[in-house]
Amino acid sequence: MASVSVEAVRKRYGALEVIHGIDIAIPDGEFVVLVGPSGCGKSTLLRMIAGLEEISGGTVRIGQRVVNQVPSKDRDIAMVFQNYALYPHMTVRENMGFSLRLRKAETEVIAERVQRAAQILSLTELLDRHPKQLSGGQRQRVAMGRAIVRNPQVFLFDEPLSNLDAKLRVQMRTEIKALHQQLKTTSIYVTHDQIEAMTMADRIVVMHDGIVEQIGTPLELYDTPANLFVAGFIGSPAINLIRGILRRDGGRCWVATEAGVDLPLNGDAAGQDGQAVVYGFRPEHLTPVENSGLLSRIEVVEPTGANTFVYAELSGAQICGVFSERRSFAAGETLHLMPQLDRVHLFDAASGRRLAA
Amino acid sequence: MAPGRLSQEATWGLIFLVPYIVLFLGLVIYPVSYGLILGANPKSYVRLWTDPVFLRTIVNTVVFLGVAVNIKLFLALLLSGFFVHERRWIRWLSVVFILPWAIPSIPTILSFRWMLNAEWGMLNSLIFRLTLEDGPNWLLDRWSGLGMICVVHIWKYLPFWTLILLAGRLAIPKDLYESADVDGASGLQKFRYVTFPSLRNLYITCTLLSTIMSLGDFNSIYLLTGGGPADSTQTLATLGIRYAFGMSEIEVGVSTVVVALPVMLPLLVLMLRRMKKGEQP
Repeated sequence: MASVSVEAVRKRYGALEVIHGIDIAIPDGEFVVLVGPSGCGKSTLLRMIAGLEEISGGTVRIGQRVVNQVPSKDRDIAMVFQNYALYPHMTVRENMGFSLRLRKAETEVIAERVQRAAQILSLTELLDRHPKQLSGGQRQRVAMGRAIVRNPQVFLFDEPLSNLDAKLRVQMRTEIKALHQQLKTTSIYVTHDQIEAMTMADRIVVMHDGIVEQIGTPLELYDTPANLFVAGFIGSPAINLIRGILRRDGGRCWVATEAGVDLPLNGDAAGQDGQAVVYGFRPEHLTPVENSGLLSRIEVVEPTGANTFVYAELSGAQICGVFSERRSFAAGETLHLMPQLDRVHLFDAASGRRLAA
Repeated sequence: MAPGRLSQEATWGLIFLVPYIVLFLGLVIYPVSYGLILGANPKSYVRLWTDPVFLRTIVNTVVFLGVAVNIKLFLALLLSGFFVHERRWIRWLSVVFILPWAIPSIPTILSFRWMLNAEWGMLNSLIFRLTLEDGPNWLLDRWSGLGMICVVHIWKYLPFWTLILLAGRLAIPKDLYESADVDGASGLQKFRYVTFPSLRNLYITCTLLSTIMSLGDFNSIYLLTGGGPADSTQTLATLGIRYAFGMSEIEVGVSTVVVALPVMLPLLVLMLRRMKKGEQP
């Protein structure tokens, strides 16, 4: 096992720069998820760490060793690909033992390690099958088995669950996490799915347009997003964002929207009077109140059993509220809603940055 | 609707089918049956077996198919590995490389014939200038003539098969190679463990198809040696023509081709089965 450090890493294709100097330090044994919308450079970064893509600038270290010029096979990494990349003509056993065979390991060693990995992943019954005889989830497991057998310094995962159906994805998510807790191998995991990132990561790196927007634990990102992009990307249903002007009057503080609604703030909120801001609150931080709340008209109600999702119109914007108590909401009804003031997020409208309290 | 009458839909279906049935009867069933009738006379086969040229022709055909088809496909396999690289100059080169296949046979193969002429051909003139010795009689000896036929055949059809195998290589998922890279495979190991197993089926199918197609290659032989000297480089394709039109023995000519059927039909069936089965590991 080893730490991985990415220092000022850049990627250029000709004149086009797609990754603009990224710094990430991953301590030994950590499970880090790179998350971001498609085209943000997360897969490219992973492929640079893997040695499948040339590094245009900066340094990548695995352990203490700079690996910029080290070929993939000598980086002591294992990678799980989105399409599994299993060798179609080899059995599961041969697939899993292939890298050891290339490294001229002894037959008994290969057999033993394959057997062990197969046990960990419940693949023992399938060892003599070919990949095409397996289901998607089984193939995914073989791909992980192939990585485990190597006992590498670092696991790299490139959107490994995106080809699975929703139910299997949830199941494999748990399995991968359990596997990491068991093996404790440093892991870098790329996904565009923020729920995968939130549920699996020790730390999440949110990427956007070739830069890092924020690095932090899942709850840090959720509770104190550094900017509007992170706030909007993390969390489902997405955070509610309403534009307005920050107003202060004596000890009182609020955000005035164009539609003339005053959104309440704690008195110690950051920012200056007259500043254009974005007011944010998460759907579950809304409380229905008797009166004196923000007047919203319900448009759609989605009961899921555990929660009720309510989509309503507030100050010209559509907002979402999630309520766990059973209450009857009806479309067309008007509702008084109150955000929990200590969980309101305030962002500068121009830069998108969070205004620290 | 009265029983025994076709629905309107079925009637239209039949009407639309008629042109194809007529074409199939006229262009496939009729000529094939006529050919089989022409080739059904046992006397023709007696005539063939007693003609010393025929046995030599069988040997020639087997040698031609065995050597030319295999060398051609092996080279195509190697060359497709070169053309698969994504470089601009390689793309341009591939356009030039395709030319032999794209241009008409007659002028190109006749050019070969002139180049290989023992007395005033370009090749032997060059050999004479460089070594002051006479070059070999390229086309006037059975084995060197057959060799040159193979060379011309390969030159002419190599681009086509290279393209087919190139398409096969392009269909191999890139991440298999990346996975092999991470697993620690060398270039040769990637060919052995990724490329060849993925191409194996296609390669065998191409070999079968090319064998069947090369059996009918009349141009490479007829235009280069004309089957000579003294009928020593005939293959079944040219011998049939020699009987039918050179010696006006149509029935014997057709029988020459029919002789190949017991070998060709199983090959065809085998190939169609493989194609239907698709990519089995």
